[in-house]
Amino acid sequence: MENLLSIFSVVFLSQVFRMFTPYFFGAIGGAYSERGGVINIAIEGFLISSAFSFAVVNIFTGSIILSFIIAMLVNAVLSILFAIFTVKLKTDHIVTGVGFNLLIAGLADFLIAYFFKTSSNTPRFEEIPTIEVLSFLPFLSDPLIIVAFATVPLSAFVFFKTRFGLRLRSVGENPQAAESLGVKVRFYKIAGVVLCGIITSFGGIWLASYQNTYSQGMTAGRGYIALAAMIIGKWKPVNIFFVCLMFAFFEALEIKLQIIGSFIPSQFIQSLPYIVTILVLIGFIGKTRPPAADGVPY
Amino acid sequence: MNKKIIFQTGSALISILLTALITFGFLFILGRDPVVIFGRIFSEVFGTGYGFAQTLFKTTPLIISGCAIAICFHAKLFNIGGEGQINAGAFVMALTATSFPGLPFLIILPLSILTGFIVSAVFGFIPAVIKVKKGVSEVITTIMLNFISLAMVNYFLISHFAVESTIRTTKIPENFFFTKLSDFIPSFHGSPLNITLFIALLLALIIYFTIYKTSIGYKLRAIGFNPVASVYMSVNVNKYTIVAFVLAAGMMSFVGLNYIFGYKGFYEYGFSANIGFTAIAVSLLARNNPIGIIFSAFLFGFLDYGGLAVNELVPKEIMLIFQGLVVLSILGVNKLTDNYLKINLERN
Repeated sequence: MENLLSIFSVVFLSQVFRMFTPYFFGAIGGAYSERGGVINIAIEGFLISSAFSFAVVNIFTGSIILSFIIAMLVNAVLSILFAIFTVKLKTDHIVTGVGFNLLIAGLADFLIAYFFKTSSNTPRFEEIPTIEVLSFLPFLSDPLIIVAFATVPLSAFVFFKTRFGLRLRSVGENPQAAESLGVKVRFYKIAGVVLCGIITSFGGIWLASYQNTYSQGMTAGRGYIALAAMIIGKWKPVNIFFVCLMFAFFEALEIKLQIIGSFIPSQFIQSLPYIVTILVLIGFIGKTRPPAADGVPY
Repeated sequence: MNKKIIFQTGSALISILLTALITFGFLFILGRDPVVIFGRIFSEVFGTGYGFAQTLFKTTPLIISGCAIAICFHAKLFNIGGEGQINAGAFVMALTATSFPGLPFLIILPLSILTGFIVSAVFGFIPAVIKVKKGVSEVITTIMLNFISLAMVNYFLISHFAVESTIRTTKIPENFFFTKLSDFIPSFHGSPLNITLFIALLLALIIYFTIYKTSIGYKLRAIGFNPVASVYMSVNVNKYTIVAFVLAAGMMSFVGLNYIFGYKGFYEYGFSANIGFTAIAVSLLARNNPIGIIFSAFLFGFLDYGGLAVNELVPKEIMLIFQGLVVLSILGVNKLTDNYLKINLERN
């Protein structure tokens, strides 16, 4: 019992927020894409591409700012490509996403082997100095976590209070009607996808900067779990925030249980986030409704 | 009809060419000579009997898994859980084959196939039922089940069934191994290519006839083509969603035959090397046509073995890039040829 109680400490709480960050950026990014009607399972790939490019640029230049910018740019370019396929060529969104994930994971694996002559991970880069913005709240010490917090009201405002958000949603709900009112459907769809790519890059950057390296498989399906979080969060920023917190809680619990050790086999503890994802989806899905034209090429 | 097949084959060839061009360019930028690399691959694969047999050995599981994926794709279902299904089924297949030492091969083999099939099928049944009952998209659940299945296999393997300090099961008796083709064709000597290749080819034919010539196949294609209309044709969409998934997932276990009975004699964790994902590319390139899948599986087998053969010139991961590029160029090129066909059909 004492063991169980010791789990819930400040350290644990900060761990929850650490796990929360990549889920959240993936999920809120996904919401931008799907509000515009493009299902984006390439989020997993986008996490990989940004984590990888952040790590590699950091190793070669040592500049955090430059690596940050390059990682964002890489994701912007990839998401424009993704938009060309799904919006311009009207290919199937899910198959396109699978293709992107294969390609990006392959590129990362290849380039690791090419640059560093190993097959699984990049060398470690210099630890990034933590900027203690709000040092009295230990779990808020990372600037990206603060950005994540700020993204919640900001995204809610963009979706529901701005002209851009209204049009983005109209394109995802009923593109024909939107077009008849003079909304440039393709523009908004592409904008949604590109915003998704850029926002998701924060998640990837965070993953790499937290471990000071990029290693093969480090995303471990977080992009897909983020999509599940977005669905359960009903494509709404505030809901997504809380769902991601819940997923982060389970992942932090997983790590904690592995450290303190328990009678439960570690393989089962490791698959906790995946099991929870399926269970929560089963429990919540009936009560959610995706944008009406989500996944329908237009 | 014939014209359509010619166009579709043409668009597959164009996609391959496009992918090859991009890969060439990529290699060129990295300062490697693509002509030397691809020349080496060709001479390895077609120049030696061993290389050719190795390529066919790599092709075999891709035919099986590609056809399995195709069943789902015909019903517009996305089975991204192939990797987990393969491992769960193959693991149980190997366990069954070693668990009854007294029984003869002719009983053990069907029993192993059956148990493997059932366990793999369970991993297809779960997402299908969740989709049918709760409306949860199979995309996320199948991906989550990959992780869960691999974790379960890993647990049972390491804590109960593995040979000490390895990640593999015990070996099947020597007389259980499938006949190797090198017994008949001496130049294949050294390659584990075995009769699973013929099983895979037979499966492709069976799946072809099932999909295009039987009522089950017709209904599977109907729910993929238009689920609403299918209801009016009194096709039970839910039932056939489950049928497609159970068949496809169960079939994935046959991948284990090639490795367990044809090659190593045991299940080893990680043996599948992402076949479950490559299968998606294999099936797409062939437009989910099982006969076409034989050829596209050969292409990927060629790249897989070829990649190993040139590993000292360029990291073998180049083939992963090739796979992703193939998927994307098929999608793009298919769209363009389909539009062209549509315009032409309307005009006639």
